[in-house]
Amino acid sequence: MVKGKQFTNFRDTGEAPSAVRIYSAQDADELIFLDIAPSTESRRALVDVIALAAQECFMPLAVGGGIETATEVAELLRAGADKIVLNTSAVRTPQLVTEAAESFGVQCVVVGIDYRGSGDAAKVWIKSGSVATPLHPVEHARRVVELGAGEIFLNSIDRDGCMAGYDLEMAEQVAAAVSIPVIVCGGAGNFKHLADAFEKTDVSAVACASLFHFGDNNPIRARSYLRNLKIPLRVLK
Amino acid sequence: MTQNNLIRCKRCLLPETYETIEFDTVGICNICRGAEHKQHAIDWDERKLLLDRLIEKHRGKHEYDCIIPFSGGKDSTFQLWYLVTQYKLKPLVVRFNHGFMRQTIQENNQRTFKKLGVDVLEFSPNWKVVKRLMLESFTRKSDFCWHCHTGIYSYPLRIALRYRVPLVFWGEPQSEITAYYDYLNDEIEYEDDKKFNMLRTLGITAEDMHGMINSAENPIDRRDLIPYTFPDVKELRALAYCSVPLGSFIPWDYTRNTEIIKAELGWRTDELEGVPGHINEHGEKIECFMQGTRDYIKFLKRGYSRVAQINAFHVRNGRMTSEEALKLDTEYDGRRPPSLDVFLEYMGLSEDEFNKLVLPTTIPPYEHDFSVSRKAEKPWDFIHWYREDNSRKPR
Amino acid sequence: MIGIINYGICNLASVNNALTRLGIDSEVSSDRSDASKFDRLILPGVGSFARAMDHLVSSGWADAIHAHVAAGKPLLGICLGMQLLFEEGEEHGHTKGLGIIPGEVRLMTPAEPHRLPHVGWNTLDFASAHPLFARVKNHVDVYFVHSYHCVPREQGDVVARCSHGGDWVASVARGCVAGVQFHPEKSQPAGLQILDNFSCWNGVTNSEGGALSC
Repeated sequence: MVKGKQFTNFRDTGEAPSAVRIYSAQDADELIFLDIAPSTESRRALVDVIALAAQECFMPLAVGGGIETATEVAELLRAGADKIVLNTSAVRTPQLVTEAAESFGVQCVVVGIDYRGSGDAAKVWIKSGSVATPLHPVEHARRVVELGAGEIFLNSIDRDGCMAGYDLEMAEQVAAAVSIPVIVCGGAGNFKHLADAFEKTDVSAVACASLFHFGDNNPIRARSYLRNLKIPLRVLK
Repeated sequence: MTQNNLIRCKRCLLPETYETIEFDTVGICNICRGAEHKQHAIDWDERKLLLDRLIEKHRGKHEYDCIIPFSGGKDSTFQLWYLVTQYKLKPLVVRFNHGFMRQTIQENNQRTFKKLGVDVLEFSPNWKVVKRLMLESFTRKSDFCWHCHTGIYSYPLRIALRYRVPLVFWGEPQSEITAYYDYLNDEIEYEDDKKFNMLRTLGITAEDMHGMINSAENPIDRRDLIPYTFPDVKELRALAYCSVPLGSFIPWDYTRNTEIIKAELGWRTDELEGVPGHINEHGEKIECFMQGTRDYIKFLKRGYSRVAQINAFHVRNGRMTSEEALKLDTEYDGRRPPSLDVFLEYMGLSEDEFNKLVLPTTIPPYEHDFSVSRKAEKPWDFIHWYREDNSRKPR
Repeated sequence: MIGIINYGICNLASVNNALTRLGIDSEVSSDRSDASKFDRLILPGVGSFARAMDHLVSSGWADAIHAHVAAGKPLLGICLGMQLLFEEGEEHGHTKGLGIIPGEVRLMTPAEPHRLPHVGWNTLDFASAHPLFARVKNHVDVYFVHSYHCVPREQGDVVARCSHGGDWVASVARGCVAGVQFHPEKSQPAGLQILDNFSCWNGVTNSEGGALSC
């Protein structure tokens, strides 16, 4: 596994099976696995990690990264994933979103939206942030809801790994524009950033990576911090 | 000081930055509520019966009746005394030496082992590897004790496998200190792989750590990380291992435990950096000479330190009032320890670099005020602590 | 030994993995003639009520389940498996269920802005104590994925509810039969505790919760 800043300068953050066991032990309520450099080998590794995760952790699992066909969706669900994340496909072959939603249920389909820039100038980027599109995140979000997405995973590439806070304006715009849950990602550096996302926007969930890799934090402590602020987080025990 | 802006438990005074703390509608924290539950609502008779049955299930069946992980602090000394004298068990005592053991503890241990009559295994890991682990762990997590947490909680289980001894007795339950585990869940707190991954690894397993510190210029043998690796869970289950804290079967009381070991074993407490003697008569945390630095880092990140933690226990167990605790905390908590200089030398860091590494991991809303700094006294054995100066000398 | 009924309509790996993780003896079984060797049965299920009943009947499992319950042996229905315990489901017309618990299964009608399916973590609100939930704190969260809900005719059969634009039944129990609408195998420690409790439940409603053991 790696964690980078703005989708580059990756640092080793350990082995996927370790992360599965650790986050499971720390009462994470969902795990999302994203293959950021998809290839045939990495797909096999992803299936192996999902199979391991399905054996060892008992919460919903989402997986994404270069998924292009309904067959691949079925394979990953069979391997143990509960949801799949479509990112590039949602732009290039949007009918896959609909097909997956119809075959497996909307709750299985998460659409990932990576973007750069802010406000009106923001643009969706695909292929792990290497190819630009002319789409604005809000417009794209509205479209994928119509196609059948069950959730949106919104990720600011500019803020990724910087640990300086989420892009709250965009998160709020997207959450306000759609009726499905929005997960915000990109920029969480301390617990206050998580609280800000819940207090200032309508997002349903916050996703963290650097926060847990770099810094003495874990999901259990994050949960306590937020509950002390009366943000009603799930109680898992 | 800015720490006064923190929301605190109305009873034990621990602040909102304390890990896993949550306050209820009247401002009392979950750990205090857990202590109430422990005192009034747990059926300790039932738990004692479970302990009796558990011990009889294993007595005499293996090369040793049980493994007892041991540091020599008040908890492990009490658990050893209790199991040997009250149950007449034949344990294998296993000690993972983190490298910072103090003199009083070494003397205590010698006395304890000879008075009780037990077999003891001690393991000291490679110091060169430990230094690298400390630096990596500190850089990523502002907690340099990764080698200690992972070593202490996995090494005895490796020994359990090697000697084919399934029963492993630890000491205090985590519920005494934090809410990762809660007395209200009314469960036996197994020291298993889940707990290890939840609490001990800091989110980094031995496999991860090897990948992080290994490089072409400075390679590290994968085998050097074995002492910090949790053993294969399948093998542990095949052994039908049962790894449990004594404190899940008998109500844990630090003060009473220490009184007993002082009386029965001549156990002696020691000075603790930054903590006045009269607050720490029960001998909290006197095993490790890096403890002061560990506590100081907590103060920089979270706005409380060892004095506040000890007083919180006293308040919860009815031995101190909240008012008394507040006075003592304000007076004594959070002093810069002399061991910090030792740590900086080991790591080759300046204090400025040290502060820069700790600061980004501060828990909001705490903000440390560097303009105020009080110093702790050097403990009597400071001159005996191992020194190694790796600081970059000016040319 | 717990038997996990495989009647050909869903992925059973997660439930089996959870039991393995808990160190509980369990086996996935597709052959109804094996049923008598199990002292407890789990009926999982995802998908269509009608299709599931069809498979249960044609495979002979419906009869095996009735015999198991008649012998007083514990049965746990999970998600669709809980719904199948009832008398009738309204999906795709009316389909007869196993009829073990009086009541029926209907489409949920959550008030705005709540939508279907009801998917995600949600809070359990216990209506009564039951050994299945020993050591599970009230108002803990568990993981739901469903669009239909159970309507027990007898309120005494309701063990827990949840709220999603209205109150819905989250768990039922009657005699030696229990059902959970949520997925314990996806509900982290609370879910595992429930499965653990089931593995030591003797089928008697007012028995003590799974005693602490070591």
